[in-house]
Amino acid sequence: MPSHPAALKTATFTTSTFPTTMVATALPLTSQPLPFPTLYGRAGFSGFPSPAQDYEPRTLDLNERLIKHPNHTFYLTAAGDSMEGWGIFEGDLLVVDRSIPPRLGHILVAMFEEEVLIKRYALYQGTPHLCSAHPHYPPLPLEETNCQLWGVVRAVVHEYLP
Amino acid sequence: MIGLVDANNFYVSCERVFNPALEGKPVGVMSNNDGCVIARSAEMKALEIPMGTPAFQLEGLRRRGEIHLLSSNYELYGDMSARLAQLLRDACPDVAPYSIDEMFIYLDGFSDTQCQTLGEVVRRRVRRYLGLPVCVGLAPTHTLAKLANHVAKQQSHYQGVCLLTANSPTTTALLKQLPVNDVWGVGRRLAERLAVSGIRTAWQLRECDPKQLRKRFSVVLARTALELRGTSCLEMNALEEPRQRIMTSRSFGQATGVKAELHAALRRHAQRSAEKLRQQKSLTRAVLLFLNTNRHRKDQPQHSPSAMIPLASPSDDTRIILEAAREGLEQMYRPGFQFMKAGVMLLDLVDAQQYQLSLLQPSHKAHPHLMNAVDAINQRMGQGTIRFGMTEAEAPWQLRCAHRSNRYTTCWDEPMEAGTHPGAIAAARVKREQQRLARAQRLAQPRA
Repeated sequence: MPSHPAALKTATFTTSTFPTTMVATALPLTSQPLPFPTLYGRAGFSGFPSPAQDYEPRTLDLNERLIKHPNHTFYLTAAGDSMEGWGIFEGDLLVVDRSIPPRLGHILVAMFEEEVLIKRYALYQGTPHLCSAHPHYPPLPLEETNCQLWGVVRAVVHEYLP
Repeated sequence: MIGLVDANNFYVSCERVFNPALEGKPVGVMSNNDGCVIARSAEMKALEIPMGTPAFQLEGLRRRGEIHLLSSNYELYGDMSARLAQLLRDACPDVAPYSIDEMFIYLDGFSDTQCQTLGEVVRRRVRRYLGLPVCVGLAPTHTLAKLANHVAKQQSHYQGVCLLTANSPTTTALLKQLPVNDVWGVGRRLAERLAVSGIRTAWQLRECDPKQLRKRFSVVLARTALELRGTSCLEMNALEEPRQRIMTSRSFGQATGVKAELHAALRRHAQRSAEKLRQQKSLTRAVLLFLNTNRHRKDQPQHSPSAMIPLASPSDDTRIILEAAREGLEQMYRPGFQFMKAGVMLLDLVDAQQYQLSLLQPSHKAHPHLMNAVDAINQRMGQGTIRFGMTEAEAPWQLRCAHRSNRYTTCWDEPMEAGTHPGAIAAARVKREQQRLARAQRLAQPRA
C-alpha cells in the first residue's frame, strides 16, 4: 500500500470540553478511489514506541473483497421484488463484473427484449432459462429470444441505514 | 507493429452501454450547451443528418420520437475512456492515448499473425468487458495504422481488425484509391497545393522524393510520405509535453450583459484553468481574458474585448489568477452589450520545478498546501466542490444540458437500474414519484 504523505500528518486538538488529547488523522487526499485511510500505530504515542510499529499497518478494505476487476466493474441498483428470495431487494446496490464468463447458477444482468433484467441463470426443464425467485414470474427461456448478457453480479450491498 | 484502437461513434456507444434501448436507433449527442450535433450513430448518419446540425432544427424529429438527442455527458465519456485505456494497458506492452476515443498500442517484437490475433482479442474484450464497439488498425507506422483503422471501419469483411503491411498488394491498391487529403495530417489546404503539383492520391505522395517534399512543403509532409512507405518516423511523445497555454471558455446558456454574471463566469473559468495549470506543474506569467458577443446576431451591437494581465511573478495560485480576472473584467466591461461567451487563457507558462526563485520577487507559492488540498478535494468529490469566493449555483450562464443521461459511473445518486422482472423499473419509478408526491402533500398540510 502506498504511504500518503498526508496520512502521516497528525493534528492535535486540546480543548477544555475534551479532557483527553484528541488525535485526528488527516485523510489521504488522492484521486484514487481505493483504499480507506490507514491508521498508523505510532500516531498519538509520545512515550514508548508502539509495539505494532514493526507490523505493516494494513486495515481491511471492502473494495478489495467485493471488487476483483475494478476496471470492468459497474454499479447498478435493483428495482422490483421478484429476486428477494435470493437476497436482492429493491434499491440494493449490485456490484456487476462484466469480465466474468457466465455459468449456470450465476446471477446475471442481461438485456432481455429491450429491458435490463437481473435474473438467475439456471436450467429449467433441461434448457437454460433466466429464473426469478418469485412464483408470479415464470422462467424466461433463452432459446429463440433476443437476450444479451450485460454482466455477472458479484455482490449485492443491502444498506440498513440511510 | 503499431495499432490504433478507435471506438465507433464513441459518445453514442457510451450512452448505449447504459441505455441498451438506444441500440439500433438513430442517436445523436449534442455539443456543450446543446448547441449542435457532435456525434451520430450509424442510423443517424443513414438519415443524412450532417455533423454540426444545430439542435433546434432537429427539435421536431426529437419530439416525434424519430431520433434521440442527448446532451453531452463528459463525465461518463471520460470515465469510459479511462477504462478503455486501462484495458489496453492490461493487454498490450505499451499504450499511448491519442484522444478520448483513439489509443495507439505498440506491439514491438510481435509477428504479424500474433498482432492480428491480439487485435481480435482486444476488440472482443473491449466489447465484452466495457460494452464498447471498437475497430483496430495494425500497421508498421502511425499513418498506416490510422489508414488501416479507417479500412477496418468501412469494410465489414475485415470484422473490425485490419492489418496492413507496408508493401502488400492490398496496401498498394488502397493507397492508389485514397485521395491525398484522407491521409492523416494532410489538411484540405495542403491537399489543394499538392494537387497543383499533380499529387492527388496517397500513392503519389508515397512515391515522391522526401527531400523534394521537405524543400517544397514541410518536414512533416516528408515524414508522412516516409510513413506511407512503412518507415516509422512520427513520434507520439509530443503529447507528453506540457501544453504551452491553457484555455477555458464556454458559451453561455443565455446571453448576458450583467457584470456580476460575467464576473462569476470568468471566476469559474479562472479556477478551472488554475487547476489544469497545477496539474501539469506549470506557472503562468500572464492571464488573458476575453468576452464575445453573439456574432450571428447582426441586429445586436457587437463587441468582443480582451484584456491581458501580466503577473508580477509566475504563479499557480488560484487567488492571484482570480484577482487578474477581476482586473481584466474592469478593463473590458462596457454596459449595453449582450455577451455570449467568456474565456480565460493562461499564457507564457514555465515549469514550476525549473523556475528559480529570485530574491527580489515575492514567493510565487505562498500556500502550496492550500492549493493542493483544494485540488485533491475537487478531484475526489467532483469538480467545483470547493470554490473560491462566490460562484452562484444556478446562474443563467451555466451550461444547458436538458437531455443529459445519468452520470452512471461517477455519481452515486445516478446509477443504472436493472429490474428483477419485465416492467419492474417502470413500476419502481411510479412508486418513487408517488412517494415524492405524498411527501409533498404531507409537508403542504398544516399541522394539527
